[in-house]
Amino acid sequence: MRINPQSFFNFCANHAPLLSTLAARGGDFSEAEAMRLIRANPGIGEELPETAWRRLRELQILIPTEPGSEVFFMAEPVARLLNYLFNEANPATPEIICGYVASLETVNKQLAGALDDEDVQRISSAFEEISQTLRRIHADLNETQSAILAEVTRYKTERPRVSVREKYRRIVYWMGRYVEPMIEIVRVDGPLRTAFDETERLLHRAREEALFNDHPALARNLRFLRLVGAHALRVFTQCRKEIQPLYESLRRSSFIAQGAARALEQLQAVGLSRWGNEHLIGVAAWRYQNVPSDAAILVTLRRVIEFPPELPPVLELTAEEEAPDGLVRLLWLESLPTRVSENLPVQDLVDWLAENCSGRGISDVLAAFSVLVFYPDFHATFTDREPRTYDIAGGEITASPVTLTST
Amino acid sequence: MNTLPHLTTIFDRLRRGYHLGPDDEPEFSRLCERFDEYAAYFAALGITLVRHEREFFYFNADSPETVPDTLPRIAVFSYIMIDHAANQGRPIDEFIFGQNFLVTALPHFTLDRYTALLRQVEVHDMSDLENVLNHMERIGWVKWLSNDEFRFLRPFHRVFGKCIELTQTAQTPSADESDSASTTEENPVNRE
Repeated sequence: MRINPQSFFNFCANHAPLLSTLAARGGDFSEAEAMRLIRANPGIGEELPETAWRRLRELQILIPTEPGSEVFFMAEPVARLLNYLFNEANPATPEIICGYVASLETVNKQLAGALDDEDVQRISSAFEEISQTLRRIHADLNETQSAILAEVTRYKTERPRVSVREKYRRIVYWMGRYVEPMIEIVRVDGPLRTAFDETERLLHRAREEALFNDHPALARNLRFLRLVGAHALRVFTQCRKEIQPLYESLRRSSFIAQGAARALEQLQAVGLSRWGNEHLIGVAAWRYQNVPSDAAILVTLRRVIEFPPELPPVLELTAEEEAPDGLVRLLWLESLPTRVSENLPVQDLVDWLAENCSGRGISDVLAAFSVLVFYPDFHATFTDREPRTYDIAGGEITASPVTLTST
Repeated sequence: MNTLPHLTTIFDRLRRGYHLGPDDEPEFSRLCERFDEYAAYFAALGITLVRHEREFFYFNADSPETVPDTLPRIAVFSYIMIDHAANQGRPIDEFIFGQNFLVTALPHFTLDRYTALLRQVEVHDMSDLENVLNHMERIGWVKWLSNDEFRFLRPFHRVFGKCIELTQTAQTPSADESDSASTTEENPVNRE
């Protein structure tokens, strides 16, 4: 379906932000996604989003991925136009330039054949094709340079968002994919230069043999041929100069980051004891170790000689005359089970203790009570009988009687 | 030879592991001017004076039989710092040397992984971290600007050199591993 150019460009003029957003997003669009973008980027004037959505399809700016599909994508001619308008350059791949070289070689063969046959018509056609190829190469070179410079700028400005490792990976990709192979193609002894030299030789021959009479056009093509050749080399040399410092810097940073990560990973995996000294940074630590001087020896000897003698401490080795109170108490407590076992069963243990421990204080009586109650061969029973008061040296104890029997 | 200026001071600082950099005047300037003479003097004592390509000086360390506890701590601290810097999207040199750091804002306890690694070298809290930084100040790698703020000094490049060495060693596994011993790190100008 043909599209009215005026309608198309009027719509574009009123919806430039929307088209820019659609082009930047790329890929496929569902209706919902397209409507969301339309609402986010309203056109000039009062227009319903549904109208804009309908016009996008009518003007074939968005076309279905297949007939009847509900998924849409931006038509390729529109995408190219927007690319051109928004100056978003795409780099030419080495394969594209190689394609031009191959095309030029084919045209050269045709031109040579036409010159041999003195066929002016074929010479003219070949001449036209050479001109077109040169213009395409020139345009692609410029676009590639713009794309590479834009990429370099992007690396420098989007610092906080991308890690060093990721940046390095991307810059290596650019170096390996575009710059280095392209320099191989366009260098002075590369295939592009060889094809250009052959073209130049044939153009000279055409002029010398007077088979092509448009001398100004011939001269223009020869100049353009030399210009493109020099321009190609300059473009990629400049690109390499732009990328090289960034590449070196990121390469170094990437190596540093890898080393640190590797060291930490090793520590995590094997532990400190097996981490190894190769991960450490050696630091000198020299200490003085001197032979003692005569003066130092003299001072030491003087200290020994002048040391005032002291009597050695005397140890008291004679046996004590009386047993310690603690020992006497312990022996008394240990004797109680034997003594009480002769009187078992005891109906009132505290009463028995009060009678048999005359002169002992309350704490001793209670200690004796505990020893007997918890003695493994005896069984103590706490009764509910009326509490009694027992007179003990230094005070009295009130308690219900406790019976003690053997187990 | 006896007229070498600041010889006592230079020797006394370098023997303790200190790295003399541009902040250490006038010793640094004298070493720059008469490096060969100093190096020859110390070589006679069996000590290698190293002039790093980034222009600072230190004594080459023997391979010690017993490693001081401080070295693993400094290494782990530094590697974590670099690991964090790598995620910030700036060249690592620029990140490390292009700003001052607050101890309280360091990344070392922001990730469990970092915390676990530090625990292995007995660094448990901010106070331990400050101790590590104090050690690094004693060898001339950092400089305190206030109680809480510090900056890295040029000799910290030795850590970068070690990292590059570790990466290169890993990329060439067939190489003689003895060549990658700790004494042959980074890019000293007068490497032996």
